[in-house]
Amino acid sequence: MKNLMSMKRIAILGSAVLAFTALVAIPTNASAAPLCDKGFPVQSCIGATSDGAPYSMMVPANFNGTVYLWSHGYRYNVDIPAAMPLIGGYKITNTPEPGPIIGNDTSVIKYLLSKGFAVMGSGFARQGWNADSGVATDEELITTFKSQFKSTTHVIAWGASLGGFITQTLAEKDGAALSAAGPLCVASPSVEAELTMAGDFLWGVKTFFDPSIKAGNYSAGAAGYAEAMGDLGKVFTVLGKLQAGMASGAWPDTTPAAIHAVGLDQVPSRSALLLLGLMAGLPTQSAHFDSTTGPGSVNSNSYTSFAAAASPALAILENGATAAALAVLVTYDVEQQSGGSIFDNTKTDYAARVASEATVYNAALSGSTATAGLLGYLAQAPRATATPAALTKMRSLAQWTGKITVPTVAMTGVADPVTPAGDLTYMAQQYAKQWQAERVATLGKGRPAYDLIALFGVTPAHYTTFSALGAPITSTAAANGTNHCNFNVKQYIAVADMLAYASANGKDLSGGALNTAVRKMGGTTKDLQFAPALPKFYAED
Amino acid sequence: MLVHRRTKRGKLAITLVATAALAINVLPAHAINLHKVDGVSQSTITLGITSPLTGAAAPGYNKVPYAMQAYFNYVNDNGGVNGRKIKLIIKDDAYNPVLAKSVTNDLVLQSKVLALVGTLGTAENEATTRFVNDHGVPRLFVNTGYSGFANATKYPTTYTLLPSYVMEAKIMGQYIKDNFAGKSVAIIYQDDDFGADALKGFAIAGTKFVTKIAYPSGSQADPTVVGKWIGGLMAAKPDVTIMFGVSSATAAALGGSYKAGFKTQWILGSVGGDGTTIATVAGPTAVGLLYGAIGASFLPAPTDTTDPYIAQFQAINTKYNPGVVFDNNVLVGMNSAMLTVEALRAAGPTLTRASLLKAIAKSGSTFASAGFAPLGYSATSHVGYNGYWFGTYGPTGAIKPIGGTYSLYTTDSGTGAVVKATSTRPAMPLKGLPNN
Repeated sequence: MKNLMSMKRIAILGSAVLAFTALVAIPTNASAAPLCDKGFPVQSCIGATSDGAPYSMMVPANFNGTVYLWSHGYRYNVDIPAAMPLIGGYKITNTPEPGPIIGNDTSVIKYLLSKGFAVMGSGFARQGWNADSGVATDEELITTFKSQFKSTTHVIAWGASLGGFITQTLAEKDGAALSAAGPLCVASPSVEAELTMAGDFLWGVKTFFDPSIKAGNYSAGAAGYAEAMGDLGKVFTVLGKLQAGMASGAWPDTTPAAIHAVGLDQVPSRSALLLLGLMAGLPTQSAHFDSTTGPGSVNSNSYTSFAAAASPALAILENGATAAALAVLVTYDVEQQSGGSIFDNTKTDYAARVASEATVYNAALSGSTATAGLLGYLAQAPRATATPAALTKMRSLAQWTGKITVPTVAMTGVADPVTPAGDLTYMAQQYAKQWQAERVATLGKGRPAYDLIALFGVTPAHYTTFSALGAPITSTAAANGTNHCNFNVKQYIAVADMLAYASANGKDLSGGALNTAVRKMGGTTKDLQFAPALPKFYAED
Repeated sequence: MLVHRRTKRGKLAITLVATAALAINVLPAHAINLHKVDGVSQSTITLGITSPLTGAAAPGYNKVPYAMQAYFNYVNDNGGVNGRKIKLIIKDDAYNPVLAKSVTNDLVLQSKVLALVGTLGTAENEATTRFVNDHGVPRLFVNTGYSGFANATKYPTTYTLLPSYVMEAKIMGQYIKDNFAGKSVAIIYQDDDFGADALKGFAIAGTKFVTKIAYPSGSQADPTVVGKWIGGLMAAKPDVTIMFGVSSATAAALGGSYKAGFKTQWILGSVGGDGTTIATVAGPTAVGLLYGAIGASFLPAPTDTTDPYIAQFQAINTKYNPGVVFDNNVLVGMNSAMLTVEALRAAGPTLTRASLLKAIAKSGSTFASAGFAPLGYSATSHVGYNGYWFGTYGPTGAIKPIGGTYSLYTTDSGTGAVVKATSTRPAMPLKGLPNN
C-alpha cells in the first residue's frame, strides 16, 4: 500500500532498484541459483524464486553474517489508465526491492551495506494483496540466501505496509528462521480489517455524493476492470468537487436527489465528508492539515474557526483520497481472489461508531442536528452485502495475530491514512497478553524479556501553513507522523540499528540506550502508554 | 507503628495502581514503575490543566488556570500539602479538541502529572477521555456542565464540579414557572451536548417554547447566523428568551437584538454571562447590554465582599495574581484549586492516583468550597454541585442575587424535583487554607 501514494514514486523506486542490480538479467529458470556479479565491495545477485518472484541480494565484502530481508508494500495489480488523476499511467511491476528506498534515496541500503550487513528482497510473484504468496516467497528467499552465502548466521525480516504484514506473518509462522523482525506501518491484521476503514469511506462517498460509484461487487474479467477504473475516476472527481465546495459548503452535482429532498444539502458538504472520515476511522490530521491551526492571528475568529471547523474536513479530504483509492483497488483485487463481493456493512452501526467523535468534532460537523440528519440518512441507505463464499475465502487469507516470536521493532505514524496507527496498538495489546501469560508461566524463574518495541511517529501540534492571503499551503513535505509510511532516513536507520542489536543479542534494546536511540530519531515515541485508538474494526469487537 | 501502617497503605495503593493499569491497558508490568508515582516526589506534586489561553474562546477562560496557580502558590507559601509544593503545568488547547488531546498527552506522558484539574470544555474533555481512562489519570473538577461526565462507569476517573446543564435547565424552568407564568418563552441554544442537556432539562421541567433556535458552536461569529436568530425571535415575539450558550453567543444575541430594537426578558445560562468575554468580543460598552438580564450562578457574586470566600480569594488574588481583575473566572479557578488542595490532603501523605480518587469518593462531599450547593461526591457519584441561584446583571455586568439574598434551588440530572435548598455551606477554612 505504500506505493498507492503516487505513480511517480513507484517509477523512481523501480529505477533506483534497477541501478542496484547493475542491469544483470534475471534468470529465466525460476528457483535456479542466483546470478551474482562478483562485484566489489558489494556483490549483487539476482534471481527468481520457484513462484517466479524476482529478487535482489546485495552482499558486502565484509559481510558480517546478518542479512536484512525486506518486504515491499502493496503494489497495484492492474495497470492504471494514463488519464487517471494522481496515479494514472502506473504499470504493474515486480521489480525487486532489497530495502527501503525513500523517494530515490537509497541511503538506508547503503548504510546497512557499509556496516557489513547484506540486504535482500523480492518483487513478489504477484502484486496486489499477496500476503500468502509473499510469506512463501520470503521463506524461500531465506533458504536461497543461506545456501548461497554459507556464513549467514542471522536473518532480520522487515518491511513496510503490506510488507510489514508479510513480515509479521512470517515471524509468527516461521520465527525460528529469523533473529529479529521489523513490521513497519503494518497493515491491519486482516484484509477485512483493512477494508473496514477504506471500504466504509468509499461506501459513504457513494451514498452521500455519487451513487453511480459501484464500490465493489465488480464483474469478472475486463468488465470488472473497467468498473473499478470507472470508480477510481469517479472517486477522484467527486473529491475534487468536494474540495471546490469546501468554503461554500456546496455538494457535488452528482449528489443523490434524496439528499436535496430531505434538505441535507443545507449542511455544508465538508461536514458530511468529515463524518465519513470519522466513521471510517481516518485520521483528522493529514499531510498538510493539523486540525489545530488557522490563518491570521492566533486570537482571531478566522484562526479558531478554520482550525476547528475547516481543517478536520480538509484533513479527511487529503487522507480520504488515499483511502478511497485503496478501497477501490484492494476491493477489486481481493474480490478477484475471493470470487465475489467482500465488503459487508449490513450490520454496521455508524451512529454508535462516532458517538464520541460527534461530541469532539461537533462544531466541524455543524452541530448535533446536522450530524443526526446525516447519520439518519446513512442508516436508511442501502447497505453493501458480501457474498458468503467470497467472505469465507477472504477470511482464509493470511492474517497476523500479534504473536511475537522474535525480538521485534515496529513503527508507524499516528496519522497514517492507510494503515491506521491503531494496528500497532492492537499488536502491542495482543503481545501484552502473551507476555503476561509467559510471565505467569515462568513465575519464580525470572521475568521474561519484553520483545516488542512499538514506535509511533507523532505529528507536531501545529504544522499547517498559510500564504499571505490566508490560503493553506499544500506543496510542502508531509508532516512527520502523517501520510502512509512517511518515515525519514534517520528513522529507518534507527530502526535498522535496533533490529541489529536485537538480532545480535537475542533481545530488544532497552533502558537508557533505547531512550537515547528514540530521542535521536526525532518525532517518535516508544511510550506504550501512548497507544493510539484501535481501528474501528477492532474497537467494535 | 505509624511507619508500619504507612508502608502497608503504600503497598495497597501501589497494588491498586498496578492492577488498574493492567486491567485497563493490558500493559506489561515492566512498563509501570512500581516505586514511582507519576507527579509525586518528596517535595512536589505536579498537576496539569488544559484551557484556552489563545483563540477566540480565550478571553475570560484564560484567567482560570492562572487563578488556580495563584491559589496553589498561596498554599505553597503556607507549607504546601503534607510538605509538598504544588506545581501546576498550564497548557493552551485554544478550545480545540485535537490540540487538547495533544497537550494532554504531553502532560501525562512527558510532564508525568499526577492528575488533571479544571480542564475546560465538553469537546476537549471528551477528546481526551479514552487516553485519560486508559491511563487511570484523575481528571478533577472539569470545567464543563455536560451531564455525561458524571457517568462514573464511562468516565471512571472524572469528577465534575459545575451543576450539570440538565440541572441548570430544570432549575431555570422552575424559576420561569414561578416568576413568568403565562409568558411566552423562546430559547437559543448551542447545538451540541451542551444544548441537548438544556433541552432535556427544560423538557423535564415542562417548559414550552414558542421557538427554539439551535446554532452550531462557533457560528455565532457569523452575522448572517445571528440575523436569523433575531429574525426568528422577532417573528415569535417571546416575552422571555433564554440564551443557553457561551458568552460570545450572548454578546451576539444581545447585540443583534439591541440593533434590531427587539425587546425581551433575557435569561442567560451560567456560562453565558461573562462580562470579560463580552467586552472582548463586542467591545467594552457591550457589557451594558447585560443590564437587566437574569442569570444563574452556583458561586457567590464575585463582587460580594461580604462573602468570606470572596473576601479571602480577593485577598489572595491581589497578592498572588497581581493586576488581574477578580471576576467569576478567577473565582472559579480559585475555588477549583481549593477543592484540589482538599482532595490532595484527604489522600494523605502516601499520594497516588488511586488514593486521590478514593479520597474524593470518601470525603469529597464534605470539602469546604464557595459553592452554595452541596457537593455530591461519593463512592457511586461523581456529581459536584447541584444547584443555582438567580440574579440580575447590573450596568457594569456584575450579577447580584434577586431580592438581595442567595435563594438556591437544587435538583438532579434526572427527573427529581427542583427544591429550594436548605443545606448549609461549610465555613471558609481559616485564612483560606484547607484543614481537612
